[in-house]
Amino acid sequence: MTCPLCAAPVLAEHAFCEACGHELGAPACAACGAQAVDADGYCERCGLRQPTGRDEAELTLPGGAAAVTHKGLRRARNEDAMALLEAGDVTVAVVCDGVGSSPRADEASAVAVEIAAPALARGTGPAEAFALAGKAVAKLGSSPDDAPACTYVSAVVAGGRATLAWAGDSRVYWLPHGAGPVSAVRLTDDHATSTGEITAWLGADAGDWKPSVRVFEPPGPGSLLVCSDGLWRYLDGHTVPGTAVHPDGRPLDLARELLRHALGCGGHDNVTIVLIPLGGQHG
Amino acid sequence: MGDQPAFTLQIDQNKYLPLDGREVHAILTVSSTGTVTTTTSVPAEAAEVIIVDTSGSMSGGKIREARQAAASAVQALRDGVNFAVIAGTDTARVIYPRGRTMARASRATRAEAQTAIGRLSANGGTSIGEWLLLARDLLDAHPDAIRHALLMTDGQNNESSDAFARALSACSGRFVCDSLGVGSDWVPAELRKVSEALLGTFDFVRNQSDLSAFFNRITQESMSKTVAELALRVWVPQTATLTFVKQVSPTLLDLTGKRADVNPLTGDYPTGSWGAEEREYHLCVEVPPGQIGTEIRAGWVKLVRPDTQEVLASGNVLAQWTDDLAQSTRINGKVAHYTGQAELHELIQEGLSARAAGHVDVATARLAKARQIAAESGREDTARLLDKVVEVDPRDGTARLRRNVDKADEIELDTGSVRTSRLRQGGEGS
Repeated sequence: MTCPLCAAPVLAEHAFCEACGHELGAPACAACGAQAVDADGYCERCGLRQPTGRDEAELTLPGGAAAVTHKGLRRARNEDAMALLEAGDVTVAVVCDGVGSSPRADEASAVAVEIAAPALARGTGPAEAFALAGKAVAKLGSSPDDAPACTYVSAVVAGGRATLAWAGDSRVYWLPHGAGPVSAVRLTDDHATSTGEITAWLGADAGDWKPSVRVFEPPGPGSLLVCSDGLWRYLDGHTVPGTAVHPDGRPLDLARELLRHALGCGGHDNVTIVLIPLGGQHG
Repeated sequence: MGDQPAFTLQIDQNKYLPLDGREVHAILTVSSTGTVTTTTSVPAEAAEVIIVDTSGSMSGGKIREARQAAASAVQALRDGVNFAVIAGTDTARVIYPRGRTMARASRATRAEAQTAIGRLSANGGTSIGEWLLLARDLLDAHPDAIRHALLMTDGQNNESSDAFARALSACSGRFVCDSLGVGSDWVPAELRKVSEALLGTFDFVRNQSDLSAFFNRITQESMSKTVAELALRVWVPQTATLTFVKQVSPTLLDLTGKRADVNPLTGDYPTGSWGAEEREYHLCVEVPPGQIGTEIRAGWVKLVRPDTQEVLASGNVLAQWTDDLAQSTRINGKVAHYTGQAELHELIQEGLSARAAGHVDVATARLAKARQIAAESGREDTARLLDKVVEVDPRDGTARLRRNVDKADEIELDTGSVRTSRLRQGGEGS
């Protein structure tokens, strides 16, 4: 056994390298493999900041729904947050995107999904769950000038239809299953100006907002796509290969395919993608 | 060390690198926020050696000037400070007190020392290294004190450069030495070596009447130090290279060559003793190429006491690769400012050397460019001195060297070029 930093011989039972003082038994680096990741999350050999769970994560449910989130290629951290859970016959997805111009936006989005998703799974109405999340995010701010903020979109799938609620520019699309390439059909309207600034959000400076709510009944089998603008900014004119949306295709594969597309287009923002099969034999 | 001040370390940089970017620059601002003063708390023990050049080149006006300077220095010593006075020729001898121990400053010992200084005459050779070695021996008897020497000379050293370098290296890290240039034919080059090796300043006081104020400042500064010896401990990744570590404020001092390895990735760079003050350092790391979006710690900086390994402050220098030119081309204001200050210093040094060697074109180009940077970065004093050496036509920018340059102006320009200006609040580019 040798020290990962100075390569001096070390004994397995030692806590520190006797030659250079490096603490032994630290987590291994994702890039160089040295057991040298320190408490701040940097490798003490190659310097790489280790990816955190939130930087890059995947999630699947037994019922087939899948989600991926990624910090993208331009941002230092992921300020998107997502929740995807099942309760009986109900599937709940919530996606929030931290507002870049607000402080601690990553906390805002994390708190919002943490509060809203379990509430929706318990049967709380979409507007009420939105209000609960809004209250929790508002508490993070000490003043209107220090107000962490995020967008919000929720989808509750039950009994063959989806109830959607949103504020800001995170969106829901419909991807019909088909033989050929398919284009995504948008189901939500952004709360945003023509130049892209959002006009509704969660946060201490948000005012008393009611979310937009819509019930969607699928025309046939397909997948509900819930996503942040890190994906949809690259969806215009983009067609998804039919095979990927095929009833036999795994939603996780389609989610990864969409993520690759977003990163391939530049990955300018955090990307979050949730896919829930809906209609047809999925019920 | 109940009086030890608190330290902070702040890092200014633009962490974004273009895809082929390899160089990471950062300015470290180290502040000691302590309010330890000589009136409100027990001062740290201090030991001061005053060294007077009494070689033959000092005869006439210069030895009178040096005697007055040394007497002023003694006068500025606080009661209780350990001190000694050395007269230097081709050998060194302690002229006060007698023997090889130091005296405790009091009204009586200060008067005795001033009497001894008044009897000094100029005669013999110059071996600055020998003087510093004797100062080291005296100061070594006070290992717990803030150790400091004050050297007064015309800088005309006739020791072999090897012997001088050996002596400097033997004294390095043992005490801090500030130097004062005496006379108008003073040679800055040798004292620059002393300042670099012993982490001190070197100054030229133009008017005799300013000497007392100068010594008051130097000895006050020295006696206000409360922490004897701190180092900047810098880690860089295994595949990276630490290109340089320089003090850039209040003066320029290249610490790169003073590295003491801690382990293969980490080295200590000495910073000398600290009181309540603020200094800035410029660090440059060459990193291997990285992938878009990847963030690394390119440098991990800690302010440490090497004797106890205590970490007083720390910070990260980061690098993140991006294809967004708006991010990667932004230059941090402080990095730009101190890069300019270092360039100004180099231009002045190169310009003065070229001028001395008779290379008129090189000297003119360098000094004219220096004049421009000095004006742009708020160094009015430096710009004024440069105006005495080089004349720039404001209409078309053509420059020519002035014929009759006061030697004192040239020395002041030469010695003063290591002083840097601070970036003005809200300064351009920040």
